[in-house]
Amino acid sequence: MPHQCTNCGHVFPDGSKEMLSGCPDCGGNKFQFKQGSVDDVEADTSDQPAGDSDPQPTGGSEPTSGPEPDASTTPDTTASTDSPASDPTPSPEAPTDSERSDAELMESDTADAEESPAQSSARSDVVSSDELPDSPPDAASTADADEPTTESEETAESSGLNQLRSELNDQFESIRIVSPGEYELNLMELYDRNEYIISLREDGRYIIEVPDSWDTDMPS
Amino acid sequence: MGLLTNLKDSVSRVTDRLFASEDPKRIGIYGPPNAGKTTLANRIARDWTGDAIGPESHVPHETRRARRKEGVDIERNGQSVTIDIVDTPGVATKVDYKEFLDHDIEKDDAIRRSREATEGVAEAMHWLREDVDGVIYVLDSTTDPFTQVNTMLIGIIESRDLPVLIFANKIDLDQADIDRVADAFPEHETVPLSALEGDNMDEVYDKIAEYFA
Repeated sequence: MPHQCTNCGHVFPDGSKEMLSGCPDCGGNKFQFKQGSVDDVEADTSDQPAGDSDPQPTGGSEPTSGPEPDASTTPDTTASTDSPASDPTPSPEAPTDSERSDAELMESDTADAEESPAQSSARSDVVSSDELPDSPPDAASTADADEPTTESEETAESSGLNQLRSELNDQFESIRIVSPGEYELNLMELYDRNEYIISLREDGRYIIEVPDSWDTDMPS
Repeated sequence: MGLLTNLKDSVSRVTDRLFASEDPKRIGIYGPPNAGKTTLANRIARDWTGDAIGPESHVPHETRRARRKEGVDIERNGQSVTIDIVDTPGVATKVDYKEFLDHDIEKDDAIRRSREATEGVAEAMHWLREDVDGVIYVLDSTTDPFTQVNTMLIGIIESRDLPVLIFANKIDLDQADIDRVADAFPEHETVPLSALEGDNMDEVYDKIAEYFA
């Protein structure tokens, strides 16, 4: 899945190693999945929660401010907020929401088509998809059912989140997101890795900290 | 531990000291959540620098970022040993926000804590891999030491050949069982203490000076 710098919007093709040493444009170290590129989910996920629920100050600054309003809360709060959230998103593709918007990202994908041999090292040890937790089939199926109620939107949204979650798990088995707020950790994987996920968001965003920068923010 | 092994260890510690660089050793305080790591780190830091390192709490995963105190001078037998102390987040294989709900923490906050705790474990493992020169492994002596986390971490520490001291903490509690801790890791030195009450801290500092100088 392609990634995008949350600071300047620079897009990295799927598997690019470039981002492991920080964004070449702005030096940022915070990246997010480009959700729009997931074919099957594009309808529901892409748009969605990540975009709206967050205070989405989008621009360049907000992502770097660490403890932003938890995306993790999104799944829970969705019930109340989703209806407005899900409607507008699909179309507004680019403009205001700038970097996050999926459509925009999709385009840049193709531009970056030169796929490097991926973080093959980082992914090589990943478990097969059948070993993955459960990408709750219930949620997915209910979402397909297209119930007219707000509940359907909620489930659709959560199915998208579930899929993103499982994809995240797929790439970074060292930390498995069982559900929002519930994690399983593979200590040996965490110990063995060069790069580390140090920030997780249940909507599929995460931060990879480049090893060199570990010391910088340590209080002395 | 046999006599020869003891002798070898002593010799290697002395030679390490002779050829050591001027930089103080960085000692990581590791262990499962709620073992008393931060209480110990604060006790050491307060005793020798007057400052604390971080907040202590009964709530698990209170420490979710590694915290470091540099240049802690410990005086033993007329000599001074300088170390940097790194208080690390408690290591666990599962983190669940529901465990915070019992401590009057709201769900949203519990989920956030859970995520931060997970990040903290990742950070602790990173430090273990590259950034510590020795380990103080803190265990709650009132609980069973035979756990997956303890076995795995001690195994990693051994594989890195890092000097390690096992601290059997909370000996002020009635249920404390120091022998159980010592039996769990017989190949390592176990030091009983109560970081909270300051019990047996003299031996703690003796051992720190001996192992990490």
